[in-house]
Amino acid sequence: MAQLKERPKPFLLPDYCKGCGRCISACAKHCITFDKEIDAATGYVPVVIDLDACNACGLCMDACPEPYGLRETPQDVDFELQDPAKLFGSKTPRPEPKVVPNTLIPLPKTEPLVIKGNYASALGALLAGCRHVFGYPITPSTEGAELMAKLLPKLDGTFLQAVSEVAAVNHMYGSGGAGYPCMTFTSSPGFSLMLEGVSYMIGAEVPGVFVNIMRGGPGLGNIAPEQSDVKLACRGLGHGNTHAITLMPSTPQEMLDLTMLAFELTFKYRNPVVILGDGYLGQMTGKVNLPAAMIKPGIPTWAVNGDADHRGNLISSIYLSEHDLEMHNIYLNDKYRQMEENETRSESFMTADAEILIVATNTPARASKGAVQDLRRQGIKAGLFRPITVWPFPVNQLMKDLAHVKHMVVVEASNGQLEDEIRLALSKAGVTQLPVMSHVRHFGGMLPQQTEVLAHVKAILAKEVR
Amino acid sequence: MSVFYDKFERHSQGAGLKGNSTHYCPGCGHGLAHKYLAEAIEELGIQENTVLVSPVGCSVFAYYYFDVGNTQAAHGRAAAVALGHKLSNPEANVISYQGDGDLASIGLAETVSAAQLGAPITVIFINNAIYGMTGGQMAPTSLMGQSTATSPDGRSMYNGQPMRMAEVIAGLDGPVYVERVALFDAKNRRLAKKAIKKAVQCQVEGRGYAFVEVLAECPTHLKMSPEDTEKWVKECMVPIYPLGVKKDLATESWWKRPAPNFEADHFLHAVGASSDTTVRHCDAFPVHLNPADISLKLAGSGGDGAQTAAMLIARAAINEGYDATHIPSYGPESRGGTSYADVHVAKDEVLNPASPHPDVLIAFNAPSLAKFGPTVVKGGTIIYDSSIVKDVPPGIDPGVRVVGVPFTEIAVDLGKAVVKNIVALGALQAATGIFPKATLTAAIGQMLKDKCALIPLNEEAFAWGVKAVEELGK
Ligand SMILES: Cc1ncc(C[n+]2csc(CCOP(=O)(O)OP(=O)(O)O)c2C)c(N)n1
Ligand code: SF4
Ligand code: SF4
Ligand code: SF4
Repeated sequence: MAQLKERPKPFLLPDYCKGCGRCISACAKHCITFDKEIDAATGYVPVVIDLDACNACGLCMDACPEPYGLRETPQDVDFELQDPAKLFGSKTPRPEPKVVPNTLIPLPKTEPLVIKGNYASALGALLAGCRHVFGYPITPSTEGAELMAKLLPKLDGTFLQAVSEVAAVNHMYGSGGAGYPCMTFTSSPGFSLMLEGVSYMIGAEVPGVFVNIMRGGPGLGNIAPEQSDVKLACRGLGHGNTHAITLMPSTPQEMLDLTMLAFELTFKYRNPVVILGDGYLGQMTGKVNLPAAMIKPGIPTWAVNGDADHRGNLISSIYLSEHDLEMHNIYLNDKYRQMEENETRSESFMTADAEILIVATNTPARASKGAVQDLRRQGIKAGLFRPITVWPFPVNQLMKDLAHVKHMVVVEASNGQLEDEIRLALSKAGVTQLPVMSHVRHFGGMLPQQTEVLAHVKAILAKEVR
Repeated sequence: MSVFYDKFERHSQGAGLKGNSTHYCPGCGHGLAHKYLAEAIEELGIQENTVLVSPVGCSVFAYYYFDVGNTQAAHGRAAAVALGHKLSNPEANVISYQGDGDLASIGLAETVSAAQLGAPITVIFINNAIYGMTGGQMAPTSLMGQSTATSPDGRSMYNGQPMRMAEVIAGLDGPVYVERVALFDAKNRRLAKKAIKKAVQCQVEGRGYAFVEVLAECPTHLKMSPEDTEKWVKECMVPIYPLGVKKDLATESWWKRPAPNFEADHFLHAVGASSDTTVRHCDAFPVHLNPADISLKLAGSGGDGAQTAAMLIARAAINEGYDATHIPSYGPESRGGTSYADVHVAKDEVLNPASPHPDVLIAFNAPSLAKFGPTVVKGGTIIYDSSIVKDVPPGIDPGVRVVGVPFTEIAVDLGKAVVKNIVALGALQAATGIFPKATLTAAIGQMLKDKCALIPLNEEAFAWGVKAVEELGK
C-alpha cells in the first residue's frame, strides 16, 4: 500500500463505527459528519465521509479508537460486503503449538548429603528442572530461598527476592504461565498473602509449587513449628472453587522426593501443588540421597511462551458468562476428582492387625512411629497411618487400615485441623461407624512428643480395661 | 494491522459483524492506546515473540484483540506477572498494560518494585483519572475537586491528592525511559504513538525498563461527550500531569541471560554432591549409649558453635551408614540469645528428632547446663565447658556422669576461641566413645574441604578435647 502513488483515503464500515466523533474533530477539512440515522446493527450513529473533499491527510484514521474503524483501504472494495473474512482475506493459520518434551539427565550415584529439610526441598526443585524461584524471606522457610539464591546463578537460573509474597506469587503466575517450572518458599503468614494469586493460578491453570513451612499462628504468632495451615491448604486456597494437591513430608529425604513429585503433579494437572512442612522439618538436618536422574523441562503446548508457536495461547481465569464459568468449574471439578482418584498417597506402619491407630503427618508422624514401636514392644497392637497427601485425603487406604481398629488417635500440632480432614473424608466415604477418636494436640510451636503419645495410648487402654 | 486479530473471536460478540469492534465505550482512550501499541509491535517486527499482560479494569480483555501471547493478571499484579515472565523467558518482549486503579493503587508496590528492578519490560499506563470498569470511582489520579462515585462532593484533601506516576517512576533509578503523553489531538496522538514504540524498543534492545503514561479519555465516567472529554483532558488534566519525557537515559544494551544449565556434573558440583565413597571407621552401632537411637543435646549461646558441632555429629553418623538428624533451635530470630541443637543418631531410622531427654548433653554455658542438665536420662553423660561454668547446678540425676572440660581455655590456647566446639567434640568422643576418633575427624575434614588450611587447627582442637577427658580419667 505504501507504494501507491496516491495516498489512501479513509474507509469505513458503518457497522464498526461507534459514532464517538473523534474523527470529526480531527478532520481539518470538515469532511466527516454524523449520519442521519441510528445504525440498526450497532445502536450507534455512525459517521459519513465526504471523500470528494478529503485530501487523504490520514488524521481521522489516527484519531479513531476502533482498530477496524477507519482504515486505509482501496476505495473499490464493495461497501456492502458483510462477511469480514472476505473483506480482510482469510486468516493465515498459525502453527499448532508443539510440545517440547522433558528430557531425563542421568546422574551418577553419589554419597548421601547431610542437609536441612529446606535445602532438600530446594534440591528437589532443582532436580525437577526448576530454575526460576521467587521468594520473600520468612522464618522458618528462609534457608530454601537462601540456597536458591546461592545456587541458581551457578546454574544460570533466576532467584528473585520479590517485594512481597503478593508479588512472589504473581511472578510465579508469569513464569508458570510461560510454561516454566517455578516455585516459592514461604511460611504461614506469607502463604496467606499468596492465596489471591493461588486462586488465579488455579483458575488460569498455571503450574507452580508452594513450599509452606508452617509456623505458629494466628497472626504473627511465633516461628516455632505448627501444622495449622492444613485447613488453609485443603479448604481455603483463595476465593472460588479451588483445590490443590497438598503433600506433607516427614523427613528431609521426603522433602526432596515430594518436591520432585510436586513438580510432576503440578504440570500433570496444570494446577498448583502445595507442600506443607512443620517448622521442624524445614530446619531439620538429615540424610538425603539424590535420585538417579535430573529433569530438563520442555515446553508444554498451552504455555504463553512468547514465541510464534504459542502465540495464540491465553492464560486467564475470566469467564464472564455464567454458563462458561459453570462449565469451567465443572471441568476443574473433574480435574479435582481425577486427583482424588489417582493421587492419594499414604504410609501404613504396623496397621495390618492394629487395634489402636495413630494418625499423624510431618514430624509428629515420626514421633508417633516411635510410639508405635514402643507400644508393640509392650504387646499393644498399635499402628500408624500417615497421610502423605492431606488433600486429596487417602481415605481408601485409611479405611483398609481400620479393619480391626477400636480407637483412633490423631496426633497433630494444630487444634484438630487434620482430625477434621479425617472426619470429613470418612464421612464422605460413607463410613458412619467411626472408631472412638481422641487426640494428642499441641499448638503455639510445640510438637507432640513420642512419650506423650505413648502415655496417651496407655491412658486410653487403662480406662478401657476398667 | 496484523497484530490485531483479523476478527475478535474471543469477544462475546465476535461471531457477528461486530466481531471487528472493541468492547470499549465510544471514544475511549484504550482503543487508541491499543492501536498505537499494535502498530509499535508490528513496526518493530516482534509479533512472534511478544507477550501482553492485561490487567483488571476496562482493558482486562486486551487479549481479545492482540494477536500475541496473552496473559491476564490479577488486579494490580500485572507488573509482577510481566516480571516473572521476563525473568523466565528473557527472549520474550513483555508488555504490561494497566489502568490507574490497577497500577497506581492496588498494585503500587508491584509497580514501583518492578520499575526499580529495571529489567526490560514495557509498561503502558492508562491514566483516565477514574476507575472505569467498576463504575467511575475515585482513582489515585483523580483530580482535586473531581466528583466520582466515591468522591461525590469532589475529591478533597481528605481523599489525598493526585498521584503523578510518571514522575514517581522517573524518580527511581531502575527505569531508562519514562514519558507522559496524551491522546486529545493529532499532534499528541503522534507523540503518543512514538513514545509507545520507543518504550517497546527499549525492551527489544535490552536497554531496560520503560514506562509510558497515557492521559486517556473515559467519556463514560467523566460523563461528557468524547469531544468534551478531549477538552477536559487537555485543560484540566495536563496542568496537573504535565506532558513530555520525564527520563531518557542513553543506556547500553545489558539484558543478556543464558539458558539454564542442566549438565549433570555441573549440577552435582554446585550442590556439593560427591561420588567418592566415604570410608567407614566404625564396626558397630554404639549400643552402649542406646541400643537403637542416641539422643544428644548441644546448648550454648549463639556463636558457641553448638550448631556446627551438632551438624558434624550427624554427618559423622551418616558417613558410618546410620541415620541421623539435627534440629537447631535459636533464640528469637537472629538477635542472639541461647541456641541449642537436638541431635539423634539411630541405627536404622530416627523416629523422634527432638531431644527432650537426651542421653548426652554438651553444655557451653551455665544457663544451658542449669536448664538441660536435669533432663538428661539416668546413665547419660553431660560434658560442659569448665572454663565458663564454675559450679555444677543441682537437680542432675545422680546416675548421670558429669564431665567438665575447659573448652574455651583450650581453644584460646590454640589461638582461636571459635574452635571450642571442636574441643567439645573431642571431649564427646573420649567421654562416650560414640564413634572412633577417625569418624569425627573425617567429618571435620569433609566440612572444611574448601578451607583446607583450617584442618590442622581443628584436628588439634579435637585432639586436645580427647586428651582433656583422658587425663581426667587418670
Ligand atoms: C482485588 C480486587 N479488588 C477490586 C477489584 C474490582 N476492580 C475491578 S476493575 C477495578 C478498577 C480498575 O480501574 P483502572 O485500573 O483505573 O482501569 P479502567 O477500568 O479505568 O480502565 C476494580 C477496583 C478486583 N477485580 N480485584
Ligand atoms: S483523511 Fe484527512 S481530510 Fe480525509 S477525512 Fe480524514 S481527516 Fe479528513
Ligand atoms: S472515530 Fe471511528 S468510531 Fe469514532 S466516529 Fe469516527 S469512525 Fe466512528
Ligand atoms: S468506562 Fe471509561 S475507560 Fe472503561 S471502556 Fe468506557 S470509556 Fe473506556
